Amino acid sequence: MTDAEKKIGGAGWFQRLLDGRWSHIAVPVFCVLLSLLVSGVLLVVLGKDPFVGFYSFLQGSGLAPKGSYGGGSGIQSDFFTFLGYLAPMLLASLGFVVGFRAGLFNIGISGQMVASAFTATVLVGYSDLPAVLSKPLVIIIGAVVGALLGAFVGFLKYRFNVHEVVSTIMINYILNYIVGFFINMYFVNGLTRSSLPCSTDAALMIYNVQIGGISCTIPLGIFLAVALAFFLDWLFKRTVVGFELKAVGQNPKAAKYAGINVGKRLIQAMALSGALAGLAGVAYYCGYYTTIVPKTLPQMGYDCIAVALLGNGNPIGSIFASILVSVFQNGSNFMSSTLGVQKEIASLIVGIMLLFSACGGYFRFLAHRKVQRAEDSKIKAKAKAEAAAEGMTGEGEK
Amino acid sequence: MQDDYIIDMRHITKRFPGIVANDDVTLRVKKGEVFALLGENGAGKSTLMSVLFGMYQPDAGKIYLRGEEVKFDSSDDAVAAGIGMVHQHFKLVDNFTVAENIVMGVEPKKRLAGFLPCVDIKEANKRVKDISEQYGLAVNPTDMVGDLAVSQRQRVEILKMLYRNAEILIFDEPTAVLTPKEIEFLLDIIRGLRDQGKTIILITHKIEEIKKVADRCAILCRGKLVDVLDVASTSVQHMANLMVGREVKLETTKGEPHFGKEVLKVDHLTVRNADKFEVVQDVSLSIHEGEIFAVAGVAGNGQGELANTIAGMQDAYKGTVTLDGKDITSETVRNRVEDGVAYIPEDRQGMGVFMNLPLDENLALRRYYKEPFSKGGVLDHAKIREFADDLIERYDIRSGQGGRTITRSMSGGNQQKAIVAREIEQHARLLIFVQPTRGMDMGAIEHIHDQIIAERDRGAAVLLISLELDEVMQLADTIGVIYNGKLLKTAPASTMTSQEVGRYMMGVADND
Amino acid sequence: MDTVFIDGLAFAAPLFIMAIGGIYSEKSGVTNLAVEGFQGFGAFIGSLVAVILMPQMGSDNQMVIVVAMLASMIGGAVYSLLHAFLCVRFRANQVISGVVVNILAAALTTFFTSVANQALTGAASNKFVLGVSDQVTVPVLSQIPVLGWFFTDMYPYEWFIAVVAIAAWYLMYKTSFGMRLRACGENPQAVDATGGDVNKTRFISVVISGALCGIGGICYAYSISANFSPSIYMGFGYLAIAAMIFGNWNIPTTAAVCLVFGLARSGGYQLCLSMGLSSNYSDLFLMLPYVLTMILLVFFSGKNHPPKAAGVPYDASDR
Repeated sequence: MTDAEKKIGGAGWFQRLLDGRWSHIAVPVFCVLLSLLVSGVLLVVLGKDPFVGFYSFLQGSGLAPKGSYGGGSGIQSDFFTFLGYLAPMLLASLGFVVGFRAGLFNIGISGQMVASAFTATVLVGYSDLPAVLSKPLVIIIGAVVGALLGAFVGFLKYRFNVHEVVSTIMINYILNYIVGFFINMYFVNGLTRSSLPCSTDAALMIYNVQIGGISCTIPLGIFLAVALAFFLDWLFKRTVVGFELKAVGQNPKAAKYAGINVGKRLIQAMALSGALAGLAGVAYYCGYYTTIVPKTLPQMGYDCIAVALLGNGNPIGSIFASILVSVFQNGSNFMSSTLGVQKEIASLIVGIMLLFSACGGYFRFLAHRKVQRAEDSKIKAKAKAEAAAEGMTGEGEK
Repeated sequence: MQDDYIIDMRHITKRFPGIVANDDVTLRVKKGEVFALLGENGAGKSTLMSVLFGMYQPDAGKIYLRGEEVKFDSSDDAVAAGIGMVHQHFKLVDNFTVAENIVMGVEPKKRLAGFLPCVDIKEANKRVKDISEQYGLAVNPTDMVGDLAVSQRQRVEILKMLYRNAEILIFDEPTAVLTPKEIEFLLDIIRGLRDQGKTIILITHKIEEIKKVADRCAILCRGKLVDVLDVASTSVQHMANLMVGREVKLETTKGEPHFGKEVLKVDHLTVRNADKFEVVQDVSLSIHEGEIFAVAGVAGNGQGELANTIAGMQDAYKGTVTLDGKDITSETVRNRVEDGVAYIPEDRQGMGVFMNLPLDENLALRRYYKEPFSKGGVLDHAKIREFADDLIERYDIRSGQGGRTITRSMSGGNQQKAIVAREIEQHARLLIFVQPTRGMDMGAIEHIHDQIIAERDRGAAVLLISLELDEVMQLADTIGVIYNGKLLKTAPASTMTSQEVGRYMMGVADND
Repeated sequence: MDTVFIDGLAFAAPLFIMAIGGIYSEKSGVTNLAVEGFQGFGAFIGSLVAVILMPQMGSDNQMVIVVAMLASMIGGAVYSLLHAFLCVRFRANQVISGVVVNILAAALTTFFTSVANQALTGAASNKFVLGVSDQVTVPVLSQIPVLGWFFTDMYPYEWFIAVVAIAAWYLMYKTSFGMRLRACGENPQAVDATGGDVNKTRFISVVISGALCGIGGICYAYSISANFSPSIYMGFGYLAIAAMIFGNWNIPTTAAVCLVFGLARSGGYQLCLSMGLSSNYSDLFLMLPYVLTMILLVFFSGKNHPPKAAGVPYDASDR
């Protein structure tokens, strides 16, 4: 093979990696590395050391030791705080994944989070129920409210052909105003301007657990979130329901032909998506914070889209992706205090990740084309050589 | 004389991954003749003309136009050199007028208020009217293209080329979508264009059309040029043999039918589309065990909707559908499948399979939810694979990685084989075949025809919907002709000639 | 009563220009859910230019607003390149791209607002304070009995938007570019077959969309909020998309829909004031346009005819 041929025909190991059977892992990893590179450059431009910067995000999330700790806190407590943030992030991204698999974009996760957390707080969080009753009730109410909101969107889509992106966003604003109104009217803490905190019995946390001599708050949502991720993975891979949801997402017409009740599955998908968002809501507002700031939709409702896309729309992938995104968002305060960069850069880094993961399909396409072309040119060269050889023997016979 | 030839393609070779579409083809076309290009699907006719039209670049070979070598990088270059092509799928904008469609890209301009450049739509209408009169292609420039019939749209496409001063006109399978009457009109138009000095290249696989209109004819078979013939002095059988590359069996052998009990009964069925237009009107038919009921008709006369409604994909507006005496008019698709309805839809890739799912899951699409393929809602992938492997072997479905092949990467013919295999394997009471052989080559067509007849002989009721009159005549025990959503005539196949059926297809009502 | 009309129009005009932006993109075949991001980023660039210029030119100099308007158009156009590249060149899912563009816009502008504020004033605020554009009353015409409100307390941008809207209509329906653009959204193959460049046309259309949305964004910054802050992402971009849907992707009809939205909002607000309710209740009335949108969506979504090829990347090899 000449050098020229190598240049045209050679698809390197890199393209093969992105195109091959590990592409579902290789492509997202590549996207993450690219976005870290761009974010690093951004930090350099701002005059900061990117390695110190990234390390400080880890420190802020309790994944690396800080230089010094304030009274009563340590890496353990930071880590559990991080898990408290991770839980709703993972749940919310699972919510997006479920819709996404069924071909639906649930952009309304932030609204569903607020509404279900508000309902749970008002109904249970302000009552005197004991922990054994109130904690499960918070979870159930969160899931049910979220599911109802999701199902409503699914119904509008199926029955009236209302695009779910537009309807979920409208509902986000409506819920934001309604919840804001009720908090401001009836449940406001005059000093902080946010809602009255829910009771410690209802909060999805176990307070004051001594670990290594430091008092930690253990978030309960994380166990639920990880378990649900594995459950959903099983659901999509192994069950009839999962298969049908995927089928509806890929091609509703073919799904109907296959005998699937498309409308029912669409509504179920949105209900499940909403239920997960609702769980994310209670895990966030009753398991990380204990209050709701009125008229502010949680950023997490949008960050979870980045998580889901980074995780390739896969529940297990979401676990890794949500850890990554949570490190940035949760560690941003500490990073800001050590580096002196505005903490909003965390959202920007997540945004950049989102951007590159949206390009993931294109990277795969490029790699695929390169590999394909390399193979084509091999085939063509072979055909040419054969044709030439035939011509030679043909003439020889003459 | 060399310069007699307006087109001279020399030693054209074009390869695609895995196949040689054109293998050293040399073709010369004279100015002012109708030159036909005959061959089966996949023989390389369209590729060759795409090379001439600049859509593909040849791997080897040269093209001379009016004696000078040309290299086209895109079809725009070919258009500039005076070549025009009427594609099989019309490239028209539905919500534009006829004139807008024709002039788009080279619009007449004027200045609004003296300085703002603006499309002069009045001038466009006038020019279109002029050309349409010059060539006898009647159209109304201000009609919306979306409202036009197929044959009129085709005229718009032809006018588009003439407006751009094309001298060489390539027609890609122009008659596939037309009624027999409309075909006659089109052939007249082609003769008229030739008489005005245009050079016509006609891509087709229908020999009788070549007989009617072409001067010379080139035959392609598996990418190679077989022969160039003078049409007037060559027999149809000879052309057919050359086209297929072997002796052709022009008839399908089929035993006498033995009708049993009534399986399907459609009673006064009316179907509306999304715009509340009645696309199927008051259709009644009945099909028995061991009967092939063929619905003949030109595309877009309600056949697709009729099949969809029987299969449960669309709702009936009025009337009933009965299967083995049971009213299934408002049953779900799944229940109909359970009751014994199998359906090979026209839209294979959009409806018949999931393109992004593996072949084995597509093959199991009718049974994945039942034991043994799933238990308690949990799928058993091993059982599904086993079932698929069996079908792949028995029905000779070819794919890269067997059952795990993503369906998108398979050829259209093998996707169709997979659908047919899956539906036949249902051992259904009623099989609905819609255009089962569209886009397939003759060998595969024979095979599918044999399978349809085997199903009939097994005792199933078969509803065959086809646009090919030949196919209807070959297979049908009973023929129903559909026109404008109405079943105009239903009669035993033995009592009807193809001329009669063709007349009904144009909407000519019964005299008696 | 006049206040309802005056405020309604002031709200409707920027909404309308953003909706036209959406129409441009979608008519060319690129689904545009990125209106929200375009308007936010456009407003950010416009406001940034304004806060840089204000110390030099004086904070009530109306020239600042003119320059800011132009800057926001350019900002919106530049930012829309992202959506254009993702959808046209990278063939990303257009719905995802729209969502990504919106989220990134919020993150980018929030971060750089505080960076810029730190550089300009030393305090890392997330707001650019702009003030409200002057309102103009046309002397004689405003005295006309019934329609006088139309010439009373107008923001100058409303006239600017009217002019741009007419120009946009002319470009889309009267020129050969517009003809090609509309064809790209219905049947791109037709454009390709007649020598047009589908992807280039779509690219340009998205950029025009960005510029138009930028105008909408800066107008809101200069009227309703009187500053630039993350609250610019109030969902007005999505309201514009809803208006486009009810307007059936048609510019004049969309104008009427936007006006209805504007009147619903200002009417609700006035109602709240006239009933003497506390300011908390205003939240419920601010909700009205969104509720109205939901209701209209239910009635109109099924009946509309969106551009047929919208959302499908064009690949010349698909023949």
